[in-house]
Amino acid sequence: MVDTVAAVAAVLLLTLITMATRVGGVWMMSYVKITPRIEAFLKYMAVSVLISIVVPTTLAAAPRIWMAVAAAAIVAAVTRSALSAMLVGAAVAAAVKTLGM
Amino acid sequence: MAEQTTVTEPAQIPRFTAKGVWRGCVEIAPIAVFIIPFGIAFGVAASAKGIAPEVSILMSIAIYAGASQFALLDLWYAPLPLATLALTVLAVNARHILLGAALAPWLLQIPIKGRLAALIGLSDGSFAYAMSARERGEVDAGILFGSGIAMWLIWIASTAVGALAGSFLGDLTRFGFDAVMVTYFAAVVVGQWKGTKDLYPWLAAAAVAVIGTYVLPPGWHIIAGALAGGIVGTWRHG
Repeated sequence: MVDTVAAVAAVLLLTLITMATRVGGVWMMSYVKITPRIEAFLKYMAVSVLISIVVPTTLAAAPRIWMAVAAAAIVAAVTRSALSAMLVGAAVAAAVKTLGM
Repeated sequence: MAEQTTVTEPAQIPRFTAKGVWRGCVEIAPIAVFIIPFGIAFGVAASAKGIAPEVSILMSIAIYAGASQFALLDLWYAPLPLATLALTVLAVNARHILLGAALAPWLLQIPIKGRLAALIGLSDGSFAYAMSARERGEVDAGILFGSGIAMWLIWIASTAVGALAGSFLGDLTRFGFDAVMVTYFAAVVVGQWKGTKDLYPWLAAAAVAVIGTYVLPPGWHIIAGALAGGIVGTWRHG
């Protein structure tokens, strides 16, 4: 059993580390001159973070999630609304689950 | 968007306002539901490891970074392995540095207090929302703080529910909750598509991330994929 004082101290340490990662990127970039080239890099990196979350997560998930993501992508392409796409995607996932796949 | 055509508002100047904070809170709400099952799952898992509810709830209040909180559960035994815990949390949360860097061209135009407020609750979800909002011409960094606050409150509340009452809830995936985050992120990605010039950077990010899940420590595939996409994008179009 971890005693409470040690647990709270550890949580505070881990909080400081996490906060440092949250502010660290902007802090680092405040020392870098943001040229058009750097800006292009950051733009591609931004969307690539999400791609790097979505693609492996989807591949590792069940086929109902593949269908949900495909439905969301189509709705997003047609409507340009990420929120509608998410709602349709979740509905597909729920429907397929209910139908027992 | 109607507000871009009004002359009275200086639509293009980056700022941080209370209005923006509120807008972020409201607009993230339907997306923030995705946190509920993860918060509950975290509370349940923590209780199963013998962690007192007040400690797991404190983790959600203070650390507020789901993936890292799950990762530290396996390392939570007496005496606490502080160095390993610190390195694990740093590794899993290092992607925040990239999220912040990506937001830097915008946030560096905002006074320091607003900048810190925008970053303090940064998460994958609020970042995806901010990207989608930027695409629509949003310049108010208050939306980052507002969406962070809304998700934070839901994360704390759902952790508490899981830690205190989780075993009564059953399987939440039947409601489609587990698809919300991934479908929302996928939709935001699709909204960023600017034509075939994006194809190779995006493929590079996807390929490196997928390979990374096999060869890198947990969490690092996101960083590798993000850098790969950034490098290929700059190399081809910079």
